[in-house]
Amino acid sequence: MSKPEFLAPDNDLLEMMHKPLDRRDFLKCSALLGGSVAALGCLPRLGWAAEGRSPVFDVGDAYVHHRPENQIYSVCQQCNTNCGIKVKLVDGLVAKIDGNPYSPWTMTPQLPYTTPIAQAATVEGAICPKGQAGIQTLYDPYRLVKVLKRAGKRGENKWQTISFEQAITEIVEGGDLFGEGHVEGLKDIIVLRDPKIAAELAADAELVAAKKMDLAAFKQKHRDNLKYLIDPDHPDLGPKNNQFCLQWGRLKSGRSELLKRLVGSAMGSVNTHGHTTVCQGSLYFTCKAMSDQFVEGKFTGGSKFYWQADTGNAEFILFVGANLYEGNYGPPLRSVKITNGLIDGRLKIAVVDPRCNKAASRAWKWLPVRPQGVAAVGLGMMNWIIENQRYDARYLANANKAAAMADNEPTWTQTAWLVKLKDGQPTTFLRGSDLGLPTQKRPKKDGGEWDFDPFVVFKDGKFVPFDPNSETEPAEGELLVDTEVPGKGIKVKSVFQILKDTVTARKLSEWAELAGVRTIDLEDLAREFTSHGKKAVADVHRGVSQNTSGFYNVLIYMTLNTLIGNHDWMGGLAKATTYNLDGSMEGKPFDLTKQKGKLKPWGISIIRHEAVYDKTTLFNGFPAKRVWYPFASDIYQEIIPSAGDMYPYQIKALFLYMGSPVYALPAGHKHVEILLDPKKIPLIFASDIVIGETSMYADYIFPDLTYLERWEFSGSHPSVTPKVAPFRQPVSAPLTDTVTVFGEKMPLSLEALVLGLAEKLQLPGFGEDAFGPGLHLKREEDMYLRMVANIAFGDKPDGSEMVPAADAEEMRIFREARRHLPPTVYDYDRWQKAVGPELWPRVVYVLNRGGRFQDYQKAYKDRQLANKYGKMVGIYFDKLATTKNSMTGKPYVPHVAYIEGPHDCLGRKLTDEAEGYDLTLITYRHIVHTKSRTPGNYWLQAVYPENFIDISPVDARRLGLRSGDRVKVVSPTNQDGVWDLGHGWKKPMIGRVKIHEGIRPGVIGFTLGHGHWAYGAEPVLIDGVRVKGDRRRATGIHANAAMRVDPVLKNTGLVDPVGGSAVFYQSQVKLVKV
Amino acid sequence: MTRVLPLEDALLRMQRDLKRALAKDPRQIRWGMVIDLSRCIGCHACTLGCVAENKLPPGVVYRVVVEEEMGHYPMVRWRFVPRPCLHCQNPPCTKVCPVHATYSDEQGVVRVDYNKCIGCRYCLVACPYAARTSDFGERYTNDTPELPGKLFGRRAAFAGYEQRLSAEYGRRWPDRNGGSPFGNARKCHFCLHRLKVGMLPACVTSCIGRATIFGDRTDPESLIFEALGSPRLFRLKEELGTQPAVYYLK
Repeated sequence: MSKPEFLAPDNDLLEMMHKPLDRRDFLKCSALLGGSVAALGCLPRLGWAAEGRSPVFDVGDAYVHHRPENQIYSVCQQCNTNCGIKVKLVDGLVAKIDGNPYSPWTMTPQLPYTTPIAQAATVEGAICPKGQAGIQTLYDPYRLVKVLKRAGKRGENKWQTISFEQAITEIVEGGDLFGEGHVEGLKDIIVLRDPKIAAELAADAELVAAKKMDLAAFKQKHRDNLKYLIDPDHPDLGPKNNQFCLQWGRLKSGRSELLKRLVGSAMGSVNTHGHTTVCQGSLYFTCKAMSDQFVEGKFTGGSKFYWQADTGNAEFILFVGANLYEGNYGPPLRSVKITNGLIDGRLKIAVVDPRCNKAASRAWKWLPVRPQGVAAVGLGMMNWIIENQRYDARYLANANKAAAMADNEPTWTQTAWLVKLKDGQPTTFLRGSDLGLPTQKRPKKDGGEWDFDPFVVFKDGKFVPFDPNSETEPAEGELLVDTEVPGKGIKVKSVFQILKDTVTARKLSEWAELAGVRTIDLEDLAREFTSHGKKAVADVHRGVSQNTSGFYNVLIYMTLNTLIGNHDWMGGLAKATTYNLDGSMEGKPFDLTKQKGKLKPWGISIIRHEAVYDKTTLFNGFPAKRVWYPFASDIYQEIIPSAGDMYPYQIKALFLYMGSPVYALPAGHKHVEILLDPKKIPLIFASDIVIGETSMYADYIFPDLTYLERWEFSGSHPSVTPKVAPFRQPVSAPLTDTVTVFGEKMPLSLEALVLGLAEKLQLPGFGEDAFGPGLHLKREEDMYLRMVANIAFGDKPDGSEMVPAADAEEMRIFREARRHLPPTVYDYDRWQKAVGPELWPRVVYVLNRGGRFQDYQKAYKDRQLANKYGKMVGIYFDKLATTKNSMTGKPYVPHVAYIEGPHDCLGRKLTDEAEGYDLTLITYRHIVHTKSRTPGNYWLQAVYPENFIDISPVDARRLGLRSGDRVKVVSPTNQDGVWDLGHGWKKPMIGRVKIHEGIRPGVIGFTLGHGHWAYGAEPVLIDGVRVKGDRRRATGIHANAAMRVDPVLKNTGLVDPVGGSAVFYQSQVKLVKV
Repeated sequence: MTRVLPLEDALLRMQRDLKRALAKDPRQIRWGMVIDLSRCIGCHACTLGCVAENKLPPGVVYRVVVEEEMGHYPMVRWRFVPRPCLHCQNPPCTKVCPVHATYSDEQGVVRVDYNKCIGCRYCLVACPYAARTSDFGERYTNDTPELPGKLFGRRAAFAGYEQRLSAEYGRRWPDRNGGSPFGNARKCHFCLHRLKVGMLPACVTSCIGRATIFGDRTDPESLIFEALGSPRLFRLKEELGTQPAVYYLK
């Protein structure tokens, strides 16, 4: 190409970037950039610099990062914030990673979407330090390039390299794979292949569980097919296929659809489980319960999601257990909105955290809460708000949609709804039928009828029935109701009354004492929170949810938000909104959910999620052997431990994708005992980029590509208000070996593994015509590029939301920027063919920008969010009141409640503190580390080479410790203070102490990310050659093994039995000086 | 009070300022930086942005962020102070260089001419801000394993992010196998190679709190000009008379 050395954007165009482009501007822009020559001709006077090197501004021309041909936009995965990135390539190598200026993650507002990429080439948004160090994840010397098979016992770290084909064959066929006896292959596990037989078995198994069909009758009817079942005496466990389990750590869309297509609809296993509960499980599952709507007679359809503050427009944010400058989804997109707000006076923040985190340091108030008392802050605030009537009574009175619409409120809640009492305890909602009113027949969406039985509010001395979803008949009710239904003897209270009773059960000063903070601070917080209309938010994260009472903790703070009805208001609570990519919506170009011969997974999962113990054939009195989770899913800490107990059945093969439960989970060391024993889980294979802390216990490791070499659709976060669809795409050439699957050459990767298994097992929905005639699934782009096409098309069936087409100049840049990519991942003609020539230029337009992003200004309308939740916000759960806890046999508490902790899974309070374990152990995040996967990013070590045990001066003095002293962490369930890694290898939990004023006395903390024993930290043997460990990767301490093991479950940490969270902040420990 | 949505990120404003400066007679430009400590959140993105942009080897850091915990429980605050080279207008470092390898250019940037530097490290000692470090030729990948065909390995990793140096001062430097800047004094140069093409220094564009303001101090329309008028303005060790071009806001 010619050498336009000075490619700085000209003034006109840069000016355009900071205001929304209208159509005329866009045309002007496009005209300007009709082609490179035209563009150069159009550029205004460039000043002295264009005239060659100036003697007085003596800088050479060797810098090439700023040329659009050297850039590809993608999405970071150094943590799950998934910031948009701009990757700069020099001679085919990744040279630098910066922020994608089209992405609302890296700029506020981000560049208008229609800004030509040539003009965006010199603009970059801001990303965090570890995002910038991602190049060292890509080029990590310890990365695997060939498949490994264990050559010794499980966990001995002796490996041999084998071919991809051999690995696939062994996993599918089974045999005496390790000289330890016969191992069943996947072909022996995935036995039920006929969708018709599967559906029949599933339907009747459900009847047996519901006691509507006799077991003997079932066995007689299905006598030919009982061989497919795990246990014919318990048909509701489902088919043998369920004994194959997929467990993943970090998985986003694209790969998620591919994996679920494989394990779910092709293999028919119900066991596809993510890691949600190790992150902020109860935050998701409380909000899921809250978002259930009343549909055809049931509360259902809640989304697994949560809300965060519209950070850039709020006036007051109360951050509780949320470390927003270092974690919390995430620093680049939220920090600038906070700092701008603090400096220009828009925003005030308060931070509730036992530790003075970096955000607390900039806060109006820091409340160093007791970790066990985090709920009490919210309860105390609600006490003050309700006693002083500072809630939004107008919002709270609205009992249904019509009432909300009349008030221009996008949402409504249940505060005025009436609830029946039994023995003084709230049970289910009062219904029309309780008042003797008739029910009403209504048609079901999919045919048939259902009986509508109205809910009831109390107004002006009358009981008023209503439909929560009515758009025409507004229902408002009184908030404080405590009465009896005349003539029926039914005592009722309003939901608000129940809430009031709960929060006034203790005085404000008592809540303050439980929280370990001053009463006046709770008053101040409550007053401030109710002084900004809808522009105040309680924004909570892991510190709230990862407790034994996580579900209720989250409900407390989300109810606090509901008291001011801030959902969907600018500066209030926001949710994530994304463009559809699987094409299941009307009018979309590619329906990627199509799969011929698809199985519907059925049966009870290994983690017993969304299942009720006493409604199954396994019911044998309370307590159950392990916890059942009717209201949660993806219960990470239950997968391997349940497999270890073989409850409710054995897992015969485990597929671990991008997860390290041993490292990441509380008491993860208890997983090791199970993983070491091939009799418990006979076959384990992992997809990983290195030999990690958990993949070291696998039988096979398939090398994966890093985020810089592959596709993935990263979704959004609640505080991102524009509608978006960002994604990763191949940026670097793949660095793993090349393999052949379905006759196609591709890099060793998760995709190759999935396609390889599908090909070998001849599974439906892969290969030829997988998505329909002529639409194959033989390569990654067969799925992923079509997802991009779905994004480019937009969500309007008529196509009116389609993005513009890439012009000749953008097409040229697209091709040149990919000149280093080999045909195993990129081929212009092949890519074009995958989506067809019509959509192709629009697909390129989206690829060129690393996704699709709604303009920031369009995310707001009339002081509200444009992308609304727009539904009922539930705060009282009928469902909980009617479901029995599998461990206690009692119904779940259906409303806001204070539940003392820490407790075991039977609800018994633990007494470790009284037994001398005098310190509460907490973890937190340092911005340069992401759980297990950043030790190889050497650049980051300049900032934070080692972590410490943080301790307050009070405790240090008491224990005779000084900064730098080495201590061992011991706990009631790990009295030796070691990681027992198997085969006699014990790694002591020893770290150095750092004294901090900013940590509450009685609490110690450490950051997760250090103390490695794999990931290159310790030596391994590959093909008989010793690969040395790198001590830089082994620095610091990892103290998760000191976290409390549940005394009932015995092989996993403490849990929130409702929301499913793994508990990180409630373990009592001791420090022993060494 | 009704507030409007922000129209422009500060990064774009500063880039427009930069563009205007570059159109001027270069002799009239005076580059400067203002670091707003109340916006700094201690994330170290600037440190890494600089390391990554300039491909700095072990032991060489141009811009550190000093963290300090202040006060007593529960009245605790953190202070974060980013410290690049302060580009003194009266620099003590340039005066001690025996070979005149380090000097102030016309726009006020204190530079090191790697081709002249003999690595004596006098300048390291002379700098009152400890803003200079010495490149001892170390590599991040030195002690990592090599197992051809089985692990990605040391050589490939070295080629991936260490071998090829960044275009500091807009020059192509020899691969990291010896030769300048191996053995030289190294320090912040305001990313001159980026300025030249209309891009802000890496510590500015990577700042997730927008704490670092950069521009031509003499341009009254610029963001930095506004910042220089703040009552919160101060300079480090003002009493030494070094007159840094890097200012701070309290």
